[in-house]
Amino acid sequence: MSSDLSIFAARLRDFIGLASEDSLYLEPSDDPALKSHFDIEFNSMAIVLFGRQYDRNAAYRKLCEARNISPTSITHWTQIPAVPTVAFKEMELTSLAAEERVAVFHSSGTTGQKPSRHFHSRESLAIYEASLWPWFCRNLRLTNDDLRMVVLTPPPLRAPHSSLVHMFETVRLKLAADESVFLGNVADDGSWNLDFNRAVDYLRNAAEKAEPVLLLGTAFSFIHLLDYLVEKKLRFALPAGSRAMETGGYKGRSRALPKSELHALITDRLGIPASEIICEYGMSELSSQAYDATMPSGEVGNLKAERRAFHFPPWARVQIVSLETGREVGEGETGLVRIFDLANVFSVMAIQTEDLAIRRGDGFELIGRAEQSEPRGCSLMPGTA
Amino acid sequence: MNLPNYFLVDLPPEATLTAPMITEACQTLRRNREAYLASRSTQSLIELLCGVAENWLQPDYPFRKLALEEGPSATGFSGETLSRGLDDFFKQLTPQNFKQLLLQEFGDERRLDKFVSTVAEERQSRSAIACAPELLVHIAAGTLPNPTFMSMAFGILLRSAQFVKCASGASFLPRLFAHSIYDEDRKLGSCLEVAEWRGGNAVLEEALFAEANCVTATGSDETLGAIRQRIPAQVRFVGYGHRVSFGYVSKEALTGFNAKKVIARAASDVVAGNQLGCLSPHVIYVEPGGVFVAKHFAELLAEELANREQTEPRGTISNEAAATIVSRRGFYEVRAAHSPDTKFWRSENSTSWTVVYEADPKFQLSCLNRFVYVKSVPDLKTALENADSIRGKVSTVGIAAPEAKAVELAADLARWGATRICPLGQMQNPPLTWRHDGRPVLGDLITWTDFEGSQ
Repeated sequence: MSSDLSIFAARLRDFIGLASEDSLYLEPSDDPALKSHFDIEFNSMAIVLFGRQYDRNAAYRKLCEARNISPTSITHWTQIPAVPTVAFKEMELTSLAAEERVAVFHSSGTTGQKPSRHFHSRESLAIYEASLWPWFCRNLRLTNDDLRMVVLTPPPLRAPHSSLVHMFETVRLKLAADESVFLGNVADDGSWNLDFNRAVDYLRNAAEKAEPVLLLGTAFSFIHLLDYLVEKKLRFALPAGSRAMETGGYKGRSRALPKSELHALITDRLGIPASEIICEYGMSELSSQAYDATMPSGEVGNLKAERRAFHFPPWARVQIVSLETGREVGEGETGLVRIFDLANVFSVMAIQTEDLAIRRGDGFELIGRAEQSEPRGCSLMPGTA
Repeated sequence: MNLPNYFLVDLPPEATLTAPMITEACQTLRRNREAYLASRSTQSLIELLCGVAENWLQPDYPFRKLALEEGPSATGFSGETLSRGLDDFFKQLTPQNFKQLLLQEFGDERRLDKFVSTVAEERQSRSAIACAPELLVHIAAGTLPNPTFMSMAFGILLRSAQFVKCASGASFLPRLFAHSIYDEDRKLGSCLEVAEWRGGNAVLEEALFAEANCVTATGSDETLGAIRQRIPAQVRFVGYGHRVSFGYVSKEALTGFNAKKVIARAASDVVAGNQLGCLSPHVIYVEPGGVFVAKHFAELLAEELANREQTEPRGTISNEAAATIVSRRGFYEVRAAHSPDTKFWRSENSTSWTVVYEADPKFQLSCLNRFVYVKSVPDLKTALENADSIRGKVSTVGIAAPEAKAVELAADLARWGATRICPLGQMQNPPLTWRHDGRPVLGDLITWTDFEGSQ
């Protein structure tokens, strides 16, 4: 079906394609004319997409109606109603008919709770992949393909509902790496673990052959690996140019570590300096990702010394909104992350997350997640003494 | 805040508490008790407590002024909420109420002073005296000041030296109360210690528990379990676990003018202490059939909470607490947009209050800070069936019903396991004689000495 959403998808892919070819789009710019051009372009695309999603996504339209907002009542993308991520658990927020769906990504929710469900068709997966690749390359600084890729998650066949694993698989195919780069497994209880023997072989091999490594995983998969290395008194000096990307919280799947300690441990055990450790911020409800590879102002480099900020690609915009008023906060203030992701063509572009962040320039610094956000099944009040 | 340096909590923030400091403080407390408190009469202690309470009720009392001026930033509660909380507590401290309490607990108001007999005891030629622990330690919970005030007042009544350990960031009001006692009676004040540290500090707590004769603690079951394990066997431990509460409105209560009063009372219970106490309602169950159905009740409750926000604002809460409210509102907004079985009302441009109506009668824990559920049930039986998840953990049920029905409801609630049933509007304001968690108020703290005379 070549719907108006498909037409939009084609337009967006053109935009992303242009961005990938011409790094001008991806690099920060102080040129007011260029900025203004992007603003106008983003706004017009966002408003078109909102109109189409309003028409084609019944669950979303009901929410808009409850807020008395329709495509005719808005003029700017910031007015587009953002859907709470919890809505992806409660209902099917998609314009895809059942027969079009080829994949569904789940949130990695806590046991016993309904996960978010983000449905995908071949077409929406294609946009997902088109969106992730140029921004991944730019933030992981993949200028050539001589990095040896290794992934600490299970392979896609074992984790078909993980958007993160799908992203890693997309990267693997782009880099033409072997399927064996996935070192994770799925246990009988559904939890992810790591094949330590293979991981150690891999790291040792890379260190001996002096081949720089691109190490990708979740924060907790890194902890699993690092705890093992500490226990076995193992330490690797990965070659210069090696890089790591970690993402996500812990949710009880390993001990939790402050980010600085995790990164210090990666440096200590794997020899990857802090400046080469990049954090990713993504979620199953989105089709684009943010990375903290840049300074608040956008320039790359000198990542160690100062506080970094997460940035989305030019086809997604973020607002940090006040907890009290719902309006965008000022620089340095705390609020919730709200994302407008044009690559969410067939679901909902505007997403209200439960993540707390500080606004830093046109990016943000992540500080945590709302607790107890799930009304059902929450435990009887945590201790206060 | 410029207070004299009487208590550990008065030390400058950079001072670090050590185990020897705790031990020494406890030993000083014992010595002072022996010298200044052990031989005081109950009557004189009641007079002192009531005198301090009267001071606190005066608008120009310096400690009250300090509490209201600096309290909002120190505690997060608005001045109005603090003011109401202080009034509710200190109004309870009257000679009459203390005498009632002693009678209730000991059968005779002189029991703490000397051997006395009840009529039944006299027939057996027996008498008894209630002896207090020398050093009473309180591990106070974080949120509301009134339970800590009450523990401190009871300790004084019993003539115990007291060490009050406040949760981190929660010492502001207990500290002022301690200073007000010191100000009134220095000798008595020297039998009191207040300190603050983050719960679970094994080094400090080991030193403290080693000196204690009795420890009271308020917290989650997990916290209490952890404390209990670290208390020496000969030290008495009295734990108060986290409890939840709810309201119940019978259809007969919602007639004519009365309905408006009932809604105002429900709002008072949600507003008091920003709903943070164990006695605050998470859910208000409403029977259909009166003038108001539950959904309408919820709507009017929302209006009333909006009014209260003008007169008694909620105040500032942490980012995390606000984020939880925002997330939960998101959840109900989505539901409400898709089903008439859910409806919600919220303060505009703030997280100050939220009312969620759900047709589903299942009990739901609130995220508090003035976030309340209204649910429709045909009768109490249905409400209790749907509150099974919290059975055994319920403190208070605030009811609105005509007297005859209230008696029936109370009987059913007692059988089910609720430990306090009170009129709606009074949930967060228990009397001095309230049996916390259904336990004796003073009886759990004292030790009896029986004297069997010759026949």
